[in-house]
Amino acid sequence: MATILQTGRPSTQKHQLEDRASAGQFLARALPVMVLSFGAFLVLLPLLWMFSTSLRPSAESYMLPPQWLPTQWHLENYAAVFQSNVPFVGLVLNSLKIAVAVTLGQLIFCSMAGFAFARLKFPGRNFLFILLLASLMVPTQVTVIPIFLIMKTLGLVDNHLSIILPGLVSAFGVFLMRQFYLTLPQELLDAARMDGAGVWTIYRKIAVPLSGPALSALAIISFNATWNNYFYPLVFLNSWEKMTLPQGIALLQGYMQSGNPAVVMAAVTLAILPILLIFIVAQRWIVDAFVQSGLKG
Amino acid sequence: MLKLKEQRRDALWGFLFIFPTYIGFLVFILGPLIAVAGISLTKFNIFGGSTFIGAENYGRLLSDDRLKIVYTNTVIFTVFAVFFNITVGLGLAVLLNKSLSSGLRTFFRSIFFFPVLIAHTYVAVIWQFLYARDTGVINYYLHMMGIGAISWLSDPGWVLASVIIMDVWKNTGFAMLIFLAGLQNIPSVYYEAAQIDGASATRRFGSITLPLLSPTIFFVLVIFMIGAIQVFDTIIVLTGGGPGDASRSVVMYIYEQAFQNFDLGYASAVAMTLFGIILVLTLGQFWFSRRWVHYE
Repeated sequence: MATILQTGRPSTQKHQLEDRASAGQFLARALPVMVLSFGAFLVLLPLLWMFSTSLRPSAESYMLPPQWLPTQWHLENYAAVFQSNVPFVGLVLNSLKIAVAVTLGQLIFCSMAGFAFARLKFPGRNFLFILLLASLMVPTQVTVIPIFLIMKTLGLVDNHLSIILPGLVSAFGVFLMRQFYLTLPQELLDAARMDGAGVWTIYRKIAVPLSGPALSALAIISFNATWNNYFYPLVFLNSWEKMTLPQGIALLQGYMQSGNPAVVMAAVTLAILPILLIFIVAQRWIVDAFVQSGLKG
Repeated sequence: MLKLKEQRRDALWGFLFIFPTYIGFLVFILGPLIAVAGISLTKFNIFGGSTFIGAENYGRLLSDDRLKIVYTNTVIFTVFAVFFNITVGLGLAVLLNKSLSSGLRTFFRSIFFFPVLIAHTYVAVIWQFLYARDTGVINYYLHMMGIGAISWLSDPGWVLASVIIMDVWKNTGFAMLIFLAGLQNIPSVYYEAAQIDGASATRRFGSITLPLLSPTIFFVLVIFMIGAIQVFDTIIVLTGGGPGDASRSVVMYIYEQAFQNFDLGYASAVAMTLFGIILVLTLGQFWFSRRWVHYE
């Protein structure tokens, strides 16, 4: 419409271009959406299959052609998860305990260290910070052997502390918090100091209350990583009483899929569901946290 | 006088604030790193009585045929998984960035990103069923397209491809997210100017998007490579490293040597090679990014 009205006027080069493009415009608009829809379809299919298999009688788990949408609602598979030889509730509680402890610890220790590196002057500050940052290059899989020997000496093998204690140190978290505290206006801190506030008061009453966005980003990254961690629990935890959820589900699946598919899928659905619900509610913050972890990490 | 007192107090608080993190760093990162180098020079006996054997474990690395296999697997996995994660992620980000309403963009972004949040363990458990030879969903559709049954998890020629496909499904959303953030930082005036000059879409991508996004691409490349070299969870649950050693990764081999064979000395030597590679990659990142990455 607009282009027709404009033909009487001396049109700019840009408008001529738009005229020429109008023929292919529909395709140019529709094609990306079609490609993206197909991609989204491929991403969702395995999850859909998981969900509908968890609702079918186990005898029909291998039914072909596959029925992607849930056609039946056999909730007994979910009941079977709780009655199976795998202590599902205990596993969830163990994972939750470890993830909460590590996340809380990182929030406290990383924000303290981040504040010190950003705002307090002390001898060797830059050297100590760079040394800590360099530890991002050290994968946990390399240091796991000595840490295992430490835990063995301390009698902490098959104890949740063997996962929690090493988890409390996060060079990434310190870096994230430091970057945030560097953005606080100096006048704010100076003013508090003029009023006679000590370092602890400035940190506790001014810096921490202002660092909500950074703290929530760190909490999301740290909780998700700990909740999903498999390698450390596999090395350190070996009794059913102490194991975490990813370990339990891998065992429920059994060696080369000896487990009952419907029940396994019910268990996986239960394991993924809380993440999905949290993601739907807090999508914006979670995405922001991961963008920050990517751009600053 | 008061100033000096204040400075001292600040320094004291500074040390106090970094104390917990630094103790943890020394005990759980720096100390173990030095220890693993030390252990790699011993024949380590977990029940006591380890003996110093010099570089013997490192000599053994050279003649270890299984080590060659696990390193080859890890390199193949890294090259292809990183390549597809980045190209697919970049493609999705470019499609999302253009010509979509913000609501639709958020919708697609959420779907592509969601698998990033799921544990590798759960993903592998689901895909094990999809990959099944006779009862699996994937082979069913391939059969409909006239393609014969593939033994995704038991054919040594296919098993790494299976691991890579699953990895891209799970991780490309993270690359997409970072690229999308990078794309949204490119000022739209560049595209407008290019359009006025009559530059084609391909030309705009090659002359504006790629150069301005190159720091982001390079960064994503390095973090994905470092992550892929340490692959463990995905494979141990999906294939257990099999058939034979056909999909075993370096970290799985370290795990096996250390915690199943209790040969901690040799496992430490293998771990040191992995650390060396990651060190070179990270330092290489600094060096390269100064040389050829285009910073605005």
